[in-house]
Amino acid sequence: MGNAFSRALGKLFGSREMKILMLGLDNAGKTTILYKLKLNKIKTSTPTVGFNVETVAYKNVKFNMWDVGGQERLRPLWRHYFPATTALMFVIDSNDRQRMTEAKEELYSVISEKEMEKVVLLVWANKQDLKGAMKPQEVSDFLQLDKNLKNQLWCVIGSNALTGQGLVEGLSWVSNNTAKR
Amino acid sequence: MSGIYLTDRPVRRPQGSGSPLIRKIQRSCRMSLPEPDLALNLDVADYINEKQGGTAYDATRAIVKLINNRDSHTAVFALSLLDVLVKNCGYPVHLQISRKEFLNELVRRFPEHPPLRYSRVQRLVLTAIEEWYQTICKHAPYKDDLNYIRDMRRLLKYKGYIFPKIHSEDLAVMRPTDQLKTASEIQKEQEIAQAAKLEELIRSGRPEDLREANKLMKIMAGFKEDNVVHAKQTVNAELNKLKRKADLLNEMLNMSNESEIAENGTIEELYAALKGAQPKFQKIIEEEHDDDTLIQDLLKFNDTVNQLLNKYSLLKIGNTTAANEINPEVMAATPESNVGALSNEINLIDFGDDMGATSPSPTPNAPDLAAATANQNNIDPMMDLLGDLNDLSLSNGNGSGDLLGNNEPLELGGGISLDSNTDDIFSATSNKTASNVSAAPANTATTGTQDGSFDLLGDLTSSTGRTSTQTATKVLVNTSANLKIEFEVTRENDSTIKVKACFTNLGSVPLQEFTFSVAVPKSMQLRLQPQSDNILQTGVSEGITQDAWIENALSSSEKPLRVKWKVSYKMNGNPADEMAIFTLPNV
Repeated sequence: MGNAFSRALGKLFGSREMKILMLGLDNAGKTTILYKLKLNKIKTSTPTVGFNVETVAYKNVKFNMWDVGGQERLRPLWRHYFPATTALMFVIDSNDRQRMTEAKEELYSVISEKEMEKVVLLVWANKQDLKGAMKPQEVSDFLQLDKNLKNQLWCVIGSNALTGQGLVEGLSWVSNNTAKR
Repeated sequence: MSGIYLTDRPVRRPQGSGSPLIRKIQRSCRMSLPEPDLALNLDVADYINEKQGGTAYDATRAIVKLINNRDSHTAVFALSLLDVLVKNCGYPVHLQISRKEFLNELVRRFPEHPPLRYSRVQRLVLTAIEEWYQTICKHAPYKDDLNYIRDMRRLLKYKGYIFPKIHSEDLAVMRPTDQLKTASEIQKEQEIAQAAKLEELIRSGRPEDLREANKLMKIMAGFKEDNVVHAKQTVNAELNKLKRKADLLNEMLNMSNESEIAENGTIEELYAALKGAQPKFQKIIEEEHDDDTLIQDLLKFNDTVNQLLNKYSLLKIGNTTAANEINPEVMAATPESNVGALSNEINLIDFGDDMGATSPSPTPNAPDLAAATANQNNIDPMMDLLGDLNDLSLSNGNGSGDLLGNNEPLELGGGISLDSNTDDIFSATSNKTASNVSAAPANTATTGTQDGSFDLLGDLTSSTGRTSTQTATKVLVNTSANLKIEFEVTRENDSTIKVKACFTNLGSVPLQEFTFSVAVPKSMQLRLQPQSDNILQTGVSEGITQDAWIENALSSSEKPLRVKWKVSYKMNGNPADEMAIFTLPNV
C-alpha cells in the first residue's frame, strides 16, 4: 500500500529535474563535493577555471549540478548561470575565518539578484573535519540569514566533502523544500 | 478555496504575465493599437539592452509565438517589434534569431509548398529573413554564429519560396556602422556579445556547447587583457582605414573638378566618413592619454582631416585656387612605425607562447618592421582593405559579397570603378599593400612573400629612410624618430648565428637607461653579451652595440628565423618602448 502510494507520488514528482547552482569562494570545496556526490570518489582537482556540470540522481530527483569556479575573476561571470536555477548551494570553507566576510559578501550579492529571488538557499559549512573549523551554527550566526532573508527558504548544513558527511542531507533538504512548490 | 472573496491584497486586474518584459511585448502587440507603435517597440528594445541576461531569449520566444498567432494583426505587430529588436539590440538578439528552434518556429505556418499568393505575414517573414541574410549574415563580425539564418533561407528557396527584393535603403540601417569607436566602446560591445553567447551555450546545455562555454568562460575571465589588446588593435585598424580614406579623398579631390565633386558619391561618402569620425578623435585621445605616439599621430591626422574637409568645402563652392593650396600630407604611409609599435605590443603578450625564451637583455635585431607588420596583419589588412573597398562599392550599388570572395586586389580596384585611381589606392595603402599581396594566394608563393613585401615596402616608404639589403649581412631592423637599430648577422656554423646589434641615436637627446631585449623561438637558445653601454649618446653612429648568439638555428631550416625584440629607454626622463618582430635574413 505504502509502496503503491510512493510510486504514485514518484510518478507525480518522479521525473523531477532541477538546476542547482553551486557557488562559493575559491578553494571552498565545490568541485570536490560535486564529484563526491557523482562518483563517490575524492577527485583531487586543480582550481576550476570555468565550470563543471554533472547530473546527480537522488531518490527520484535529477539534480543538474553546476559547479562554477570561484576565483575572483570568475565571480563576475556567475550571473550568467543564474537563469532557471532552482536551488543555490553556497559552499563555505569553515576553516578560512579570514575570508568569511568575503564569502558573506559574495553570498549576499548573489542572492540579492532579481533572478535569484525565488531559489532556495543551502549553505554548506564545508571542511568540518578540520580542527579550527567554525561549526555550522557559528557560520549560520555569522551569515545572519535569519535577519536578512525574509522570503527565501534557507538552511546551513555542516559538511565534509572527504567523507561525504552532510552531503546527502543537503540534497534531501533541497529536494524536500522544492517539492512543495 | 474557489469563489469570490476579498483578501488583504488590493483588488486589481489580473496581470498579463509575471515578467515585465512579456508585459511590454504584449503591450506593443496588442490588438487595440491602430498600427505598430515605434515608441512601445523601442521601449522593449531598451529594456533588453538594459537588462541583458535572458531577456533576448525570452523576448524572441514570446514574439515568435505572437507571429504564429492566428490573428494576422497581432502577427504583423510582432514582426515589426522583432524588426526593431534586431536593429537595436545587436548581438544578443541576433544570436537568438539565428537559433534553429527560433527559425523553425518562425516558419511553422509556412506550407510545404509555397502558396500561390503569400499572406501578408508570410511576406513579412520572408522579407525579414532576406534582410537578415543580406545584412547581419554578411557583415556582422560574428557572422559565423548566424549560419542557421542562411540555412533557413536556402531551405525556403529550395522549397520554392521567393524572397522579396530588399531596397538598399532598408539595408543601410543594418549595415555595420563604420564609425570609429574608442577602445572601451569596442570592449564593451565585445563583453556584451560574449556574455550573450555564454548564456546561450549554458541554456542549450548540449555537451559540445558546454565545452565551448567553458572555453569562452576562460576567455572572458582569464584573458581580459586579450580583449583590451584586441580593442586597441581594432581602434588602430579603424584609424588606418580612415587614413586611407583620407588619402583617397585627397587624391580624388585633386583630380576632380567642381561639378564632378557634386556628382561623385564616393567623394561624398569619404567626406561623410571623415567628418563623422572626427568627434571620436577626442574620445580616443582621452582614453589613450598614456600612449604618446598614438596621440601625436592622431592629432596630426586630425589636422589633415580638417584640411581635407576644408578643401572639400572650398572645391564645392568652386574656389579651386584656395583649395589647391591645401595639400595635406599623405597619412597612410607615415604612421607605420606607430602601427608596428601597437600591434607589436600585442605580440609580446603571447610571446611566451609561441616564441619561448624572452631574455631581458640586449641582442640583435632585425631589419624591418615590414616583417612584423606583414606578419601581424597578414590577414587583417587584406580584410581591412577589402572592407574598405566594400564600403565604397556599396555606394555604387555593387554586390559586396562577391568582392569578398574574390581575392585579387586588382579586381578590386576595378570593382569600385575607380580605374584611374587604382594605383593611388595602392600607393596610399603602402604598407598594407605589401601584406595584402602576400595574403592573396594568386600572387606569390607563400615562402616568397617575405621578400616581396619587403621590396614593395622599401619602394613605397623609402621616405622613412628605411633601406633593406637582403644580401648584406648588415640589416636595418627599425628606425624611429629617435633610434636606428641594425643587425649584423653572421653564421658561425651550421647551427649558430651570431648577431651584433647596433644602435644609433637619431634624435638630439641622449637616451638613458637603454635596454634591449630579444626572444627567439623555443627550439633555440640565445646567448647574450652585455651591451656596450646603457646611455645612447647623440651624434655617435652605433653608440651601443651588443653581441648575441642564437644556437640551434639550423642552416637547413626552411622557416625564416623570427625574433621578437624590444627596446626601452628614457628620453628626457620619459620612458619609451619600441618593439616588433623581425625576420632574420638567411645567412
